[in-house]
Amino acid sequence: MTDNTDLREILKQYSDKWVALSNDSSRVVGVADKAADALQQARANSEPDPILTRVPDNYGTYIL
Amino acid sequence: MSVRFKLDYRRFPAGPTEPFPRRTSVVRPVVPIALINGSNRVRVFALIDSGADYCIFHAEIGEQIGLEIESGKSLAFSGISGAGQTAYFHNIKLELGGHQFDCYAGFSRDIDNLPYGILRQAGFFDIFKVSFDYNKEKIELQSQDD
Repeated sequence: MTDNTDLREILKQYSDKWVALSNDSSRVVGVADKAADALQQARANSEPDPILTRVPDNYGTYIL
Repeated sequence: MSVRFKLDYRRFPAGPTEPFPRRTSVVRPVVPIALINGSNRVRVFALIDSGADYCIFHAEIGEQIGLEIESGKSLAFSGISGAGQTAYFHNIKLELGGHQFDCYAGFSRDIDNLPYGILRQAGFFDIFKVSFDYNKEKIELQSQDD
């Protein structure tokens, strides 16, 4: 299985949300304001090993 | 036994800004990593960042692996903005590329604006020798077991 590493399309509509992606990052399997709810949606969608990430307003303005 | 493997950078959507009006995406050394506490395991994206001291993750993620966040030892820290933040540290395990290792990681409620966890010097760069190839969008990791 090859991971999807280009996340431009699948993440761009979820600003300020927690998003759960499928194991290969190819599909959104949960979206919520809370990480717990996104994870719960992923498990309800039978995704055994989702990846959680928070989507900011604009990745381009992120700096540490 | 030393473990060596390569991972890809990931590309994220980014809107134009005044100094970068044509930018539509950013590419970063972000990897999927599992946080493990006992039988609890959650995978997140994390940025490999050599510029600071500790591994930090969102408190919400720590709660998902069963941590009582504020029971950990606290550390006041600040980012580039200088704004004060607090992290609470816990012993967990991280799993990357099939390799599992101990990490004393911080969990903070003050990093909600950050898109990923942060893998930093203590707890990651002391486990792996890390090589970045930005042009090829590849990260090479070699465990420093030997």
